[in-house]
Amino acid sequence: MTATVHVEQRVTDPGDTVDERVVRRRLGPGRRIRFAFWVGPLLVLAIWAAGSAAGVISPAILTAPWDVVAAFQNQWAEHDLLGNILSSLNRAVLGLAFGVLGGVLLALVSGLSRIGESVFDGPIQIKRSIPTLALIPLFIAWFGIDQEMKVVTIALISLVPIYVHTHNGLRSIDGKYAELAETIGIGRAEFIRHIVLPGALPGFLLGMRFAVTSSLLGLVVVEQYNATSGIGHMMTLAGQYGQTDVIVVGLVIYGVFGYLADTAVRFTGRKVLSWRRTLED
Amino acid sequence: MTPRKAAAAVLAAVLAIGTAACGNDDPAATLELSAALPEQVPSGTVLRIGDPAVQAVLGAAGLDKELTAAGVKVEWANISGGPQSIQAFRADKLDCSSVADIPSLFAAWTGTSTKIVFQSVGADPLQHPIYKLGVAPGVSVTSLADLRGKKIAYSAGQAQGALVLRVLQKAGLSQKDVQLVELTSTGDSYVTALGTKAVDVAPLGAQNVKIYEAKYPGAGAIDTGIRDDAATVYCLTKSVQDAAKAAALKVYVSVRTKALLWQNTHPDEYAKLYYVDSQGLTPADAKAVVELYGDKAIPASWDNAITRLQESADLLATEQKHDKLDVTTLVDRRFEPVETAAAGSQVVTGDAA
Repeated sequence: MTATVHVEQRVTDPGDTVDERVVRRRLGPGRRIRFAFWVGPLLVLAIWAAGSAAGVISPAILTAPWDVVAAFQNQWAEHDLLGNILSSLNRAVLGLAFGVLGGVLLALVSGLSRIGESVFDGPIQIKRSIPTLALIPLFIAWFGIDQEMKVVTIALISLVPIYVHTHNGLRSIDGKYAELAETIGIGRAEFIRHIVLPGALPGFLLGMRFAVTSSLLGLVVVEQYNATSGIGHMMTLAGQYGQTDVIVVGLVIYGVFGYLADTAVRFTGRKVLSWRRTLED
Repeated sequence: MTPRKAAAAVLAAVLAIGTAACGNDDPAATLELSAALPEQVPSGTVLRIGDPAVQAVLGAAGLDKELTAAGVKVEWANISGGPQSIQAFRADKLDCSSVADIPSLFAAWTGTSTKIVFQSVGADPLQHPIYKLGVAPGVSVTSLADLRGKKIAYSAGQAQGALVLRVLQKAGLSQKDVQLVELTSTGDSYVTALGTKAVDVAPLGAQNVKIYEAKYPGAGAIDTGIRDDAATVYCLTKSVQDAAKAAALKVYVSVRTKALLWQNTHPDEYAKLYYVDSQGLTPADAKAVVELYGDKAIPASWDNAITRLQESADLLATEQKHDKLDVTTLVDRRFEPVETAAAGSQVVTGDAA
């Protein structure tokens, strides 16, 4: 960090009055850079391409970008890649929808009532620390081996971050607002609508960022089991036959979808939280 | 009761109902394991089967009509191999699955009762082994005797693990003469372990040998000289005891026999339908894999297969400290004549079986 510099600027204007305003360096991150969205990923792609072209990155370690494109085209034309993507997205979106709904409801119940917290918070924290892979045999026993099991698993994976962050956001609402609400005597419903929900929104949106990516990650786990389509299924098969290029195609698809989903959530957050004045703006 | 407490009580009740397991056992006619298999399949009988390679060819071979004509409805699961099928069996979400011979032993040792209802062998097992021993680049192993003192990848619960023990037995070595490295075989994990010299020797599926040799210069593989061609379909004992499912299974075993023989005579279609369409290989690779595995054969009698299974069971029991197991309790020989009748004159006898 550089020290703040006080620069005295003399600007002479036609009126011959001397403007001696102090101009200081901003302490925040400053203005938003245009196309910031592309800079990082393109940099990574450039390093990857250069490394592959120079022979530093051998194909055995990581397939070259152009080979990945070729594999992508082959999967698209020969092996119904689109169908795989759609069936994966279908599972992820369904699971995410249920997960978000459940997570928000539980966070509200547990955030607004001490009884709710004592009932729900413990089990959710326990679920957090259990690896999902280890739960799969149980879920098979409870929900079968079909779509239902897969959606429930993804829902539970994405429920956790939503719950944790929403609950935390809700509890960190400044106590002054609750006191204000009591002073002007509004009811519980209005309190929730005008104070709790907007106040918990930043937390919820942060939870959302974790949830969208974790729902995609959950696909890899659930599609290893009795799936006939999906990106996770494609990658599992490719692993069996040593098709590194197909695995990297899968990874790239995960990366792209994860990045797009995350950016969409952040963008929504910026729009929805425009009433806040933070360093983000 | 305050509204808040009431809400909490309601939520707790919902939670309790939601988590209560709901059993749905529809009573079915039970069938003694010694009784003759019923001829008539009751309408609406459903078999839940994990058998992807056969599922892929049934339509093209025109055999799916035989199933529907007999009134058998199959609910296919894309499940094969030991760990996944045993998991589904435990949850009672699957009736049968196609596997090699080892999973049936592990099912018994882990407390899941199963019956083998189908046995097939390789037509020329030593020429078309399922597994070879991959050798890491720069390691000199040309015969089984060279294994002494080497680091060998070993996974206790998988067919690959049993194979390592059988190879050591054949080479006259014990576990103390080599260094067994605990490593589960998933995807191409053994290929990577060999290539990075984490182990000296590891059993590789024949299809992975080519990939391995292409990927790592100086890599090699040797034959085990051991038959590893056992292929079975095993079912939950509970499903075999269900009269309706047993009748349906009788039809399925017969149809599956014909499907395997069809695969032998239609290698190109089989390569396309299973390895290209369902497994995502390129046509050239698919053709190579089909040639690599060679033809399958239906044994005239299960005797030899059961003898070999008993040998594997005894070996695993001593080497891995499991209980002794009488494998005759794991096979249901009522399906043996069904299978041989379906194959007709195309059965193999003597040593080939």
